[in-house]
Amino acid sequence: MIPLDKQRSLWWHVAVREFKAISSDYSILLVLLGGIFAYGFLYNYMYAPNVVHDVPIVVVDHSHSSMSRQYMSWMDATPQVQVEYVVADMAEAKRLMLSAQVFGILYLPENFETLVFEGQQSVFPFYASTEAFLYYEAMAKANLQVMEAMDGVYRQQLIGNLPLSGLAAVATQAPVEVVGYALYNPLEGYGIYLIPSVLMLILFQTLMMLVAMRAGTEKKSPPVVLYTKDTLSSCGMAFQIVVGKSLVYCLLYGIFSLFMFGILPLFFDIPHMASWGELFCLLTPYLLGTSFLGLFLSRWYADPEAPILLIAFFSIGLLFLAGVSYPLELMPWYWQIAHYIVPAASGTLAFVMLNCMDAPLNVVSTELLVLWIQVVVYFILAVDTYRRKLDGRFPPKLYSAVQ
Amino acid sequence: MAVVGSFLQVFRREWCRMCSRRIYFLSVVLLPLFLIFFMSTIFGTGQMERIPIAIVDADNTATSRSVARNIAAVPTFDVVTWYADDMAARRALERKEIYGYLSIPPDFEADMLRGAGATLCYYYHYALLAVGGEVMSAFEMGLLPVRMAPIVLDAVALGGDENTMETFLLPMETDSHTLYNPSLNYAAYLSQPIFFIMFQVLVLLVTLYAMGHETKYATGENWLQAANGNILAAVLGKLLPYFLFFSAEALLANYIFFEIVRIPFSGSWFVLQLSSILFVIATQSVAVVLFSLFPAFSLVISVVSMVGSLGATLSGLTFPLSAMSPIVRYVAALFPIRHFTRLVQMIVYYNGYLASCWSILALLLLYPLIALLLLPRLKRLILSHRYDTFG
Repeated sequence: MIPLDKQRSLWWHVAVREFKAISSDYSILLVLLGGIFAYGFLYNYMYAPNVVHDVPIVVVDHSHSSMSRQYMSWMDATPQVQVEYVVADMAEAKRLMLSAQVFGILYLPENFETLVFEGQQSVFPFYASTEAFLYYEAMAKANLQVMEAMDGVYRQQLIGNLPLSGLAAVATQAPVEVVGYALYNPLEGYGIYLIPSVLMLILFQTLMMLVAMRAGTEKKSPPVVLYTKDTLSSCGMAFQIVVGKSLVYCLLYGIFSLFMFGILPLFFDIPHMASWGELFCLLTPYLLGTSFLGLFLSRWYADPEAPILLIAFFSIGLLFLAGVSYPLELMPWYWQIAHYIVPAASGTLAFVMLNCMDAPLNVVSTELLVLWIQVVVYFILAVDTYRRKLDGRFPPKLYSAVQ
Repeated sequence: MAVVGSFLQVFRREWCRMCSRRIYFLSVVLLPLFLIFFMSTIFGTGQMERIPIAIVDADNTATSRSVARNIAAVPTFDVVTWYADDMAARRALERKEIYGYLSIPPDFEADMLRGAGATLCYYYHYALLAVGGEVMSAFEMGLLPVRMAPIVLDAVALGGDENTMETFLLPMETDSHTLYNPSLNYAAYLSQPIFFIMFQVLVLLVTLYAMGHETKYATGENWLQAANGNILAAVLGKLLPYFLFFSAEALLANYIFFEIVRIPFSGSWFVLQLSSILFVIATQSVAVVLFSLFPAFSLVISVVSMVGSLGATLSGLTFPLSAMSPIVRYVAALFPIRHFTRLVQMIVYYNGYLASCWSILALLLLYPLIALLLLPRLKRLILSHRYDTFG
């Protein structure tokens, strides 16, 4: 047993003990190193391509004309699409699609060119698979661009087809130009969109795991109570235990945040527009709230492994709940409420706004308020959990074995 | 016969263990049901409709108002505000009050009538990529008629025929066929696959947990005794109760997604359900393999809990694997979720039937075979007591 230094208060002992326990538990170190450092690099590496390009498609060319060949080569020239095969019949094209060798079929009918020169509209089908939305979008964009470019070229040659000569002047005037701008993600990268949210979720998830593993292990180790002065009420002790533990967790995670938001952007092209001050304002309630939530939930943890199972299970669901991948407004009301209960949801959303959109702090004031309310509520609940643990009101009798 | 007897004995033993702890009820019954509910409701209708956007009309003419009406009529959009300048719209975008806006510049009408390069700009939120993509394509579609409108209008005024002009302007026109999911519905795209991605985390971890608990509390020998020393009977009997629940839930999930939520499905039910059951078996086998290789309970469960959440990436569902680096592709091939996702895509998107899917189905059967090969090692490890934490 560690000799109790009567000069120090309880929270100090708890913090020291917590720190020693964390640094000597292999499974905790594994979660921290693997989760924070390995995953930080891994996710960035996996999504580094950022955009899909050269989506393979097949062309069924029944036209065999110079126009059809030009269409094909222009399609192939787009960054989004690559004409992987040119085949003679539709059955072959379908077979290629079924075996996932191509994701789109461009069908150029026999009269593809003749119709154009006859002054009729030449309509040709493009079949696009939707099994990956990113592929679909890339193909649709490429096809539309090529169509517009070809139309522009051939329009000049077709002026003779117009019935009234006066129309020619009108018809050659420029159409209204439409330009779209992708804000906050000009490269239109998938990683740029996903990684910041994932980093925030990793912080949440591994911190919850850390708290759970510690709380679960504690059931088997000498209780905190043994180190205390008897003068404190159980409520006061619970208060100090929660403070001591959270102090260590938040300090550790402060360091991890430096790695995630300070070092990772040096290696990878991820948005990092939030200033350190803004990050501090966001991460303080985020980490505190997460730590308190974990401590509160520990009243139901019976061993260190079971909670890990549950926390791992929820990770992907939280990404949806954050409202980053699918707009919150379109979700049913009960999931919108759930968004405000978990720190990971509001915190991730606020982080995306600060870090990827360069929003000033006052824009995320609602999210910050929600996070601070969570901090207060979960703190009270966490203290209550530990008070009950100390009073031995929880099955299985927590500290009886040692006392 | 003796094998069947010991198998049943282990099964009964495991059934009692499973019923005796809340964590099993939670993770084997409640969470999968919760997950089915979550994935079938989270996307609302699955259709990105009425996304809040704004219009900045600096022109304020009959033409600009008609353009704005064109945009307001697009079902994807809900025009929540009209701003006088771009800055205000940009600030609203920053506060996530809107997901995009259309900016009509001053003198738009005049430029258009003069034929002097009138320009319309639209801006969309691409830090939130899914909504942004939707807003972009809705703007493109909604503004398409606007682009050619002035030319057609002038030509008609000069006595031209509207049809002739349209044919002249667009001599070639593509007829886009969006296969299987024409409205690009998110529920149809994601609900069922993401269910299985999250479900496999649960299957992996619960299976590991059930086995790891034996070594942790030094009950491994008792477990083997119940099977009369037959490791095959021990493992099968142990995994069967979980398998029954998990496969029932997998079948139920498919039924709910495709029949109750009515995600379009015209493939073979038999192949779909068969693959789902094989997927549960394959995932449980992966857990057995991992546990046989790394029987330190608390370590392996930490690692697997981290690896499990990689499933979303490695399944290749949202960001196609073929766009990632080859190493990631090869690693993904080790995970049953990758093959299962591919299988479901073939069944759901291309009405795949047994003849076209058999190779992937066979691949899923490889996992239990590998697990079988490792069983002798597992038996040795259990008997060695090396990994018992509390004895």
